[in-house]
Amino acid sequence: MSGQYWAVIGLLALAAFAIRVTGLIAGGRIRASRHAWVLDELPGLIVVSLVASSLAGQPPATWLAAGIAVGVAIGTNHVIATMALGMAAFAGLGWLGV
Amino acid sequence: MKHGALTILPLALGAAVYGFAFGLLAAQVGFPSWSVGLMSASVHAGSSQIVAVEQFATTGTVLGAVLAGAALNLRYVGMIASLSEVLVGLSWRWKILAIHVTGDENWALTMAERAKSPEVGAAFLLGSGFVMISVWTASTVAGAAIGAVLPDLERFGLGFAFTAAFIAMARGLWRGRSQALPWVLAAGATVATVSLGVPQAYGIVVGALVGLAACALMRRKKVAVA
Repeated sequence: MSGQYWAVIGLLALAAFAIRVTGLIAGGRIRASRHAWVLDELPGLIVVSLVASSLAGQPPATWLAAGIAVGVAIGTNHVIATMALGMAAFAGLGWLGV
Repeated sequence: MKHGALTILPLALGAAVYGFAFGLLAAQVGFPSWSVGLMSASVHAGSSQIVAVEQFATTGTVLGAVLAGAALNLRYVGMIASLSEVLVGLSWRWKILAIHVTGDENWALTMAERAKSPEVGAAFLLGSGFVMISVWTASTVAGAAIGAVLPDLERFGLGFAFTAAFIAMARGLWRGRSQALPWVLAAGATVATVSLGVPQAYGIVVGALVGLAACALMRRKKVAVA
């Protein structure tokens, strides 16, 4: 395992710890500030951007499979069900040559 | 502490399945099982870990992967802040331990149980947290051990598994229609940026910033109307 893997693990652990300690020490003040909405909005925007970046430049079948996964996610709100049925749709569309 | 440890068990089983899937994916993109365990025990944040691993596998950049993963964890500032009354009376050492073992599931369960009976407090949070971090770490290691001996799953759509996981996370973060426009604009900006040949990591930053700008404008308009 290269040093880069160590760096990802170490820095992510440090960031996660720092965020939790920030919540412990200054969470109340941050929540009361006029910029608190950024904390609420940013996670969703990052995840949506991650989905979009993974679909950019992909063939229509991948977008279709993503649409099916969105339908499953809306219907079930379950991570594993969405992953399983989304991958099944992706593999099925590939098998059908779509 | 025992009360929290027992009450969290059904939720821990659900997290174990997710953890197993994460471990499997992490092993397939090159993380050894012991490093997956180290990450799970030291980071203890599922969505943050899966985002960082996917970004590192896709872009190969450490900083981009860490920033994307950390951004997912920002919600913990508010979650931990809401525990201030629960943690009253604990020493700093126990407080640090308590906030490290706090995850989405045991935080939500502690808050829900405390709303029903005020005597539910730090012991419940710690008991449920110890079970969650143990189950999460063990399940990710088990997934990684299996993932390491499986053939390359890319041809079965492994890459799409991450996309599907992100879609499920987005569903979990959906709070209502007010998010629709910022999310659509963020997705559109990301696709446009990446389509121009800009690396994915920057596309994600552009998308998130465009979404934040949309949120800010919507909030300003709302205040002006009120």
